[in-house]
Amino acid sequence: MIVVERLTKTFASKAERVAAVQDVSFEAKAGEMVTLLGPSGCGKTTTLRLVAGLERADAGTIAIGGRAVVDRAADLFEPPHQRDLGMVFQSYAIWPHMTVLENVAYALEGKRLGRDEVRKRALAALATVQLEGFADRPAPRLSGGQQQRVAIARALAGEPKALLFDEPLSNLDAKLRGEMRGEIKRLQRRIGVTSLYVTHDQAEALAISDWILVMRDGRIVERGRPEDIYRRPRAVFTARFIGDANLIAGRIHEIDRATGRAAVDTEIGRLIGVDTNGTLRPGDPAMVSIRPEDLTPVAGAPGDANILKAVVTDTVFAGAAIEAEIEVGKTPLRWLARRDVAAKSGEAVDLAVGFDAAVVLPPE
Amino acid sequence: MSVVSETSGFRGRRPLNWRAIAFAILVLILLYQVAVPLLMVAWTSFKTMRPGEPGFLDLALSLSNYVRAFAEPRFWSATQNTISFSLASSALAFVLGAFLAWVVDRTDTPLARLIGLLTLGRIIIPGILITVSWILVASPTIGLFNGIVFAVTGVKGFFNIYSFGGMVWVHGLEMVPLAYLLLSAAFQAMDPRLEEASVMTGAGIWRTLRRVTFPLAAPAVGATLLLLFITTIETFEVPLLMGGRAGVPVYATEIYLKTSRTPIDWGIASTYAMALMVVSIGLLALYFRLLRHGERYQTVTGKDFRPRRVELGPWKYVTCALSLAIVLLTTGVPFLMMLYASFLPDFVPLTADPFEYFTFANYTTLFSESEYALDPLLNSTLLGIGTATVVMLIVSAIAYFVHKTRIPGRKALDVLAFAAIAVPSVVLGAAFLWLYLLVPVPILGTLFIIGLAYVTKYLPFALRFVTTSMVQIHSELEEAAQVTGAPGWKNFLRIYLPLLKPGLMAGWFWVMVHAYRELTIALMLVRAHNRTAATVIFDLWENGSFQELSAFGVLIFGLLIALVAASHAISRRYGIREQV
Repeated sequence: MIVVERLTKTFASKAERVAAVQDVSFEAKAGEMVTLLGPSGCGKTTTLRLVAGLERADAGTIAIGGRAVVDRAADLFEPPHQRDLGMVFQSYAIWPHMTVLENVAYALEGKRLGRDEVRKRALAALATVQLEGFADRPAPRLSGGQQQRVAIARALAGEPKALLFDEPLSNLDAKLRGEMRGEIKRLQRRIGVTSLYVTHDQAEALAISDWILVMRDGRIVERGRPEDIYRRPRAVFTARFIGDANLIAGRIHEIDRATGRAAVDTEIGRLIGVDTNGTLRPGDPAMVSIRPEDLTPVAGAPGDANILKAVVTDTVFAGAAIEAEIEVGKTPLRWLARRDVAAKSGEAVDLAVGFDAAVVLPPE
Repeated sequence: MSVVSETSGFRGRRPLNWRAIAFAILVLILLYQVAVPLLMVAWTSFKTMRPGEPGFLDLALSLSNYVRAFAEPRFWSATQNTISFSLASSALAFVLGAFLAWVVDRTDTPLARLIGLLTLGRIIIPGILITVSWILVASPTIGLFNGIVFAVTGVKGFFNIYSFGGMVWVHGLEMVPLAYLLLSAAFQAMDPRLEEASVMTGAGIWRTLRRVTFPLAAPAVGATLLLLFITTIETFEVPLLMGGRAGVPVYATEIYLKTSRTPIDWGIASTYAMALMVVSIGLLALYFRLLRHGERYQTVTGKDFRPRRVELGPWKYVTCALSLAIVLLTTGVPFLMMLYASFLPDFVPLTADPFEYFTFANYTTLFSESEYALDPLLNSTLLGIGTATVVMLIVSAIAYFVHKTRIPGRKALDVLAFAAIAVPSVVLGAAFLWLYLLVPVPILGTLFIIGLAYVTKYLPFALRFVTTSMVQIHSELEEAAQVTGAPGWKNFLRIYLPLLKPGLMAGWFWVMVHAYRELTIALMLVRAHNRTAATVIFDLWENGSFQELSAFGVLIFGLLIALVAASHAISRRYGIREQV
């Protein structure tokens, strides 16, 4: 279990002061995989390094497994090697002067175990990442994917209270990244170790996390389950950063508190969608977010959907689907059409988006 | 694939293309500049007569020089001195250089950048000036510090610079910038994540240092120690000025004395030269093995490569003070001593009240005897600029052929150009002297012979600067130009030279400064009309005109600063034009 409260860290250089982490609080319950997601420079890696103890906080507290390790107010700072954590680095950080087994066994050296016990546990850790056959290889003579597995085995071997992942997959190629993503998730579920995971890749975050914390400019923008973060975001930044979104500006016409739906007047007509925050009032400016894949062609007029009268301006065949550029009035939008839908440039098409699929957000 | 076959040169449609001709010329230049002088030394060591004397060129070889050398006790004491002097000075330079590199690159010590800059800036002061300054500071008879100690305690000759310890002290400090440069590069190449990963497994600072930091640094440390050692065994200034009175002869001084002082014995000199070369080549082979070993340690590094600095807390003021003290010793004390002595009249003891005798006489003497003092300054400037320009032209052509073409035999260029690094300066000087006694080209006693020897001397170092830049230029850039149909020579001038400019400029500076301050080769080849600044210092030293020497040293120092600043300004202006 990791509990972080009001964490703040500022980097000062001669030229400027950068508030890397500002007033960040979150919790990762026992056995959960919590992801810090955001663009580069949002403070996610700094937050992770603060938890690891590789950076010192300016303010705030951190507790790991119920024990306080950082409390600026009480001047408490436990050095990283006493925090009982495992960490996987973006650059793998495999020691090139040791063999694969020595790399993993190193994590057990401080534990006062017998030589045979260390070897047994190191081999067991290697087995969990399917590398037991590579134990005596020099570590640099492995591929990138294999090196990252060694790094994971090393982080697991000491049975730490929590695992920290710092963009572990961003040095791997796309196909390997997909495989390792699934593997890390299965491994983490099986062992049940509390994990903090940092990434800038939204697909990775959606696939791997129990909870996602979206970060921007050193602050947490919103937190939620992956599906909610994707389908019912509560901030324009989240809608835009995770997945693809058509964002249409407008003004609230009325709000139905019973259903949580809001009607918004926009340049392409009145749109009805879900007010995920529940804080908007009639007359407020608002943004309507519509995912390109939530648009479906219809004949007629179903009762619970917005109808957009669109003209296809361009289509791109993208294999699994067709990416279409459309215009509703003069407003350009994107539509992800199923492959069997015959969408041709210049044709008119009526597109429906369900009231529940449109999300009404306060503008940034 | 026509592009490829054209690159491979000899099989192209045109029987004579510019590449083949340029390549052949380069090979000839290198053979003449590197291989021939080396053969010259080896040949002389097997001959009983001198170069140029009848019978020198016939095939009757003898081992008599070696037999004579090995029978002399002096040969063995020189061997022992060379080794112990080199070991001790390398160790001193390593400890101080490593401390400075660590302080500057890996800690939050205040003034770190200034400390680094001052350490490197020291390179431009000629070694012989530093040596003389230390003698003025700590000579048992005229040393300033001894004067102070005598005035305070009444003890005479408390410091004795003319001793093994004194030699190690002066030369060790002399090599601190080199040790700093090499280790600082190693520190910067090390991924701090490797240490962080160790800390995260629960290992404390000491276990991390012992199991991760030290083993990873071992190849770089070994390579640095070896290079320091190789540099010392050929060093000349300190043993020449101090070794005589200290009774510590080494190979380098023995070679010099046996070629230029009576009794002249070139046969014996050449055997010392062979011994020195064998040791150098052996150690260099070891050095390159260590470097290759070190490259194996390089792993994937992330984008977020940011060296972590150790927070020292209040200790950072201690490291700052210690570093400044080292910089003061390497640069401050000798320079201030020189400056002080330059304003004192001759024959006044250095400890006299400084303001009583204060005079500009030393400077006016220098300017009134302009033929004696100022012409050599011009010579050194010409040699510095000329050598740097010629060397950079040759090495950029070598780097191009070796790394960007597939001409068969291109590797030989690399090997030939680099082989010169194994040749100690004093051997190189002797080799050129002997060579031009044989070759009927009348350049003995001119600046040309010194320049030619310098070209050979600085080829390997310049090649390293340019190779690094050349490897970074992607071949596709030239291929893109080839596709446009431009001829090859145009591609070299228009594509490679501009992109190589940072490496070329850095190399040019390095060669210029080193050629300017060089003493050993110049001293071997100097005659009446080709004296250089460094040889004038040696001359003044031999005459005992320390005050005039100091004034001359200050002059050289000022001139070198101006030269470096001017070249820097010129390259900056070109840089701006390039961006427009």
